[in-house]
Amino acid sequence: MENTTNIPGIKKRSHPLKIVMVILILIGLALFPFISENRFYISLINEMMIYGLLAMSLDVLLGYTGSLSFMHNAYMGISAYIVGLFLIHLSPTSLWLACFAGIIFTSVVALPVGWVQVRTGGLAFALLTMAFGMMFHTIVWKWYDVTGGDDGLMGMPNPDIILFGWNLGNSGNPIVIYIFTLIIVAICFFLTRRIINSPFGAVLEAIRENEDRASFVGINVRRYKLLGWMLACMLASVAGALFILYKGYIGPTTMSAFAGAGVLMMVLLGGMGSLWGAFVGAAIFIYIQDYISTMTEHWEIYLGLVVIFLVLFLPTGFVGLGEHLKRFRKA
Amino acid sequence: MGGTLGIIVDISLNSFVLSGVFLIVAIGLNIIYGLSRIMNMGHGALYAVGAYTGYTLVASGLNYFAALLIAPIIVGAIGLLIERSIIAPMRKRSMVYTLILTYGLMFFLDGMIKYVWGNKPCFIDLPAFLQGTLPILGTDYPVFRMATLFLIAGIMGGLMLFLNKTKVGLILRASSTIPEMVSCMGINMNYVHMGAFVLGCIMAGMAGVIAGPLTTIDPLMGSEMLISSFVVVVIGGLGSLRGAVIAAILIGVVQTLAEFFITDLAMVIVYILMAVILAFMPRGILGEGKFE
Repeated sequence: MENTTNIPGIKKRSHPLKIVMVILILIGLALFPFISENRFYISLINEMMIYGLLAMSLDVLLGYTGSLSFMHNAYMGISAYIVGLFLIHLSPTSLWLACFAGIIFTSVVALPVGWVQVRTGGLAFALLTMAFGMMFHTIVWKWYDVTGGDDGLMGMPNPDIILFGWNLGNSGNPIVIYIFTLIIVAICFFLTRRIINSPFGAVLEAIRENEDRASFVGINVRRYKLLGWMLACMLASVAGALFILYKGYIGPTTMSAFAGAGVLMMVLLGGMGSLWGAFVGAAIFIYIQDYISTMTEHWEIYLGLVVIFLVLFLPTGFVGLGEHLKRFRKA
Repeated sequence: MGGTLGIIVDISLNSFVLSGVFLIVAIGLNIIYGLSRIMNMGHGALYAVGAYTGYTLVASGLNYFAALLIAPIIVGAIGLLIERSIIAPMRKRSMVYTLILTYGLMFFLDGMIKYVWGNKPCFIDLPAFLQGTLPILGTDYPVFRMATLFLIAGIMGGLMLFLNKTKVGLILRASSTIPEMVSCMGINMNYVHMGAFVLGCIMAGMAGVIAGPLTTIDPLMGSEMLISSFVVVVIGGLGSLRGAVIAAILIGVVQTLAEFFITDLAMVIVYILMAVILAFMPRGILGEGKFE
């Protein structure tokens, strides 16, 4: 009977200890800015949460549908640019409208891209994500009149954040944006968890394990892959909206292949196929990045070495490390 | 500078030179993929390493042609080291892992390049007799670019002879079709994989030294070339050598024309072309590709 609890798609009741843990972590995160006066850590955790959401969206794709996207950050970037452009040029106060515009525009862009991509598989899929990602990066980088080119998008207004009819305050205030990020990321996390634990998630995992068998059972593989892709891109676009609100600025480097590798590494660090692992990976990555970049400018060498090390010795990430230890203790 | 004819000759010769460089890099990628099913994301960085090594050799007083021989050997040695240390243990794992692994390798090599040679662009000095220009059909074309065309043709011819006429070439060709049968004949596939990777790296290094004097050498040249050679490999069909030749010429012409008319968004056209081919002709234009 022990094994049945591991079958994906069958709703399993979470352990009460786990629920208490999650609630404690959320309360701890929510109280953090009121306890700590250190602005630096507040913005660092804020960045961790945003990148955690992005890494989670890539994990939905990589860990659950088994498709590799090299440049998932491109979709975060597109959404961030749209939200920024909307606030600058159309209406500096309507934040929600801007966010919806960002998410919808990103989906509209991602749909044809996904439609093309799901027609291929494996390597071709990965190469296509790279081709499209580089394309978006080049467009943003070179279209100076609209995006500001190399300089990035400047002059973001700071709209008030109104959540459920309750005015949180101005988005220029780091504590306000922190709380807002926490709420949105938590909602996205639980929604995604619900979706992944539903039969839909089970279908995605079946496709990851064996595409041919899944199609023999009567699953429309392409349709489900496209749905998984769209889910991942929409989550990335939410991260993009949060990103520009938090930074107040976006430049083409956020959409570069280098940044894409960073997101990939967050997923690897946390462990593929684990939603909360993505957040752990993002937290570790951003902390290390912050730490190393203050010491050396040759950050790429270390990034490369860590990726190589992880793939060779720890392909299941830190979440997998925990599982290994558990099994080790049992044996 | 001549009139319209001169411009046409200029553009077409330029695009052939560009195609030739793409071709050598892409063939290296193709050999590795065809024999080991590994898509080496670090290939562009190895090409850049070749260019920088060539620069250092020439700057230290060596003849350009000697550098053309030595630099690929150095890159091949680096490739051997990479293959033995990180690629070989990954053979049995899924493709996603090798892709991510070589992606990490790319960043490592790019970082090392910046660490060793710094961020500023470098130039390879050519011997005096290659620096002039040659009057052809109403335009003055640089001698070195003409020489490059012959050089590339020579390298391709040599590679074809090696693959078609020697025993090692026979083993390589057989391994790309039925690896199991080759290993049944008593040939150690480990050596075949190793040889393929090193050969691919040598090709990348050679392309780097050839491209060095054509453009400026900077740390970004590797990733730009990686994308272009991916496009060539994909359009030609993965593992197909004949397809790669056609695709390289196609991409070279498209990129030169695009750069001539609309400088900034040239690459966007190339990416779209790649996406269209991948989506509708996944086995390449000749239908010879091996996709898994």
